[in-house]
Amino acid sequence: MTAVIRLEQVAKSFGDLDAVAPSDLEVGAGEVVTLLGPSGCGKTTLLRMVAGLEPPSSGSITVGATTPSRARETKMIGFVPQAPALLPWRTVEANARLLLDVNRRANPTCAPDHVELLREVGLGDFLHAHPHELSGGMQQRVALVRAFALGSSILLMDEPFASLDEITRADMRHLLGRLCEQTGASVLFVTHSIAESVFLSDRVVVLSQRPGRVIGTVPIDLSRPRLPAIEDDPRFFGHETQLRALLHEGAGRSEAAR
Amino acid sequence: MSSRRERRRGRVESLRLVAAGVVGLFVFVLAWEALVRILDVRPFVLRAPSKIVPELLDEPRFFLDNTLTTGRHALVGILIALACALLIGAVLATSRFLEHASQPVLTLILVTPWVAYINSVVLWLGSGTPPILFMVAFVSFPAFTFATVAGLRSADTSARELLASVEASRWEVLWRLRLPSALPSLFTAARFNVGLGLAAAYFTEGGALSADGLGYAGSRAISFNNGNLLWAAILCTALLGVVGLTLVTLLERVLLRWHVSQR
Repeated sequence: MTAVIRLEQVAKSFGDLDAVAPSDLEVGAGEVVTLLGPSGCGKTTLLRMVAGLEPPSSGSITVGATTPSRARETKMIGFVPQAPALLPWRTVEANARLLLDVNRRANPTCAPDHVELLREVGLGDFLHAHPHELSGGMQQRVALVRAFALGSSILLMDEPFASLDEITRADMRHLLGRLCEQTGASVLFVTHSIAESVFLSDRVVVLSQRPGRVIGTVPIDLSRPRLPAIEDDPRFFGHETQLRALLHEGAGRSEAAR
Repeated sequence: MSSRRERRRGRVESLRLVAAGVVGLFVFVLAWEALVRILDVRPFVLRAPSKIVPELLDEPRFFLDNTLTTGRHALVGILIALACALLIGAVLATSRFLEHASQPVLTLILVTPWVAYINSVVLWLGSGTPPILFMVAFVSFPAFTFATVAGLRSADTSARELLASVEASRWEVLWRLRLPSALPSLFTAARFNVGLGLAAAYFTEGGALSADGLGYAGSRAISFNNGNLLWAAILCTALLGVVGLTLVTLLERVLLRWHVSQR
């Protein structure tokens, strides 16, 4: 499998603060990889470096056979930020179209229809509503559609469901799982939710506490398509237990290093 | 439908609020009239409404023309200030250094008693419209500039990063994100500037040797000791202010439908 995203010995420090220790990471074509770690472990920083929003202090990053900034220029990356970041003056439909409205020269020749996508995620009746009329989960669904509407083959998601309640979170990960399987995009997903990482991923990369360092990679051998019922599968629990143990280990080790 | 009933209830509520305003105004005018009569106030100090209204009705054409002139002066001056503030504010918002360098100057313009230097401006720009427009634009410029800088800066950080992730140009970010984010603070500044700009138009008309405008009528009234004319000009200026604020509010209703303040 060829790597669509490749990080080699990538590290980041802000002044004296080491945010990310030298790390290697690969995401293959059509693969969903999750970065799992406690808050403040540098997983968001890693993602931002891949998105070209932050330069690494050392190491090299390849995104789609080119540099992150070049990938950004050619709109190869669909980015989903932590907050929905919808523009309050735009309707749901116009928000879903936002990324297509800027830097138009780099627009793909055949992007999926954003209105169709909105219908698919259950927002067909809200095309002309404004963000303040939507619930948190609905706003985040618009944010997902906005990224998918770019039709890009690389998706970067920064804890998009962190601010939602547990029930909505579950719905959202099921929805996102379906969308990812449909598009076959390569996804790098950041979260601190174990259930999210197991449900969505082909591989979970566990990071230690700051400075973030890869302490283990767990392949998730659950079949696709993944339906919500899979969360009751004993293998699902098995993976959850395994990841929880790794996270504890990571916390303990950096505790001892201090 | 409950939403329709709610809307109707909202409409009744807003009608009641308008009615409350009218009642308040009516009581105020009555009290004014009564006070002037009971205390026998001298004509030049304060005129009773019953004297001002006939003055207006006596020469409606004269007052209408002058009100329109002053209104035009204030409007054009404020629009000039807004255009300059948007241009300069957009530049200032790009650098903390420039912003801080400009702050003392803008504050000075704002706090200096501008009536005091009107004559110097008239000497510089000559009589007629130019000094009037200059003064209106000059005094309303700082508030607009502060509002532009603060507003452009207030754009949501996540949305900025999102646009950066697809390499939106500076211009696209300004147009699609920063400028709409600046609208709420610009409207606040516009409210403030309606009163200020109108006062600047009035006083500069009085000093600019221009032969029309409410300010000119007012200053002539003072030199001829004509209390009725003076108070009629003051009333017209106040009405202009009401019209100006109403226009700003209506525009805000349309452009800021999405904003918290309009819900």
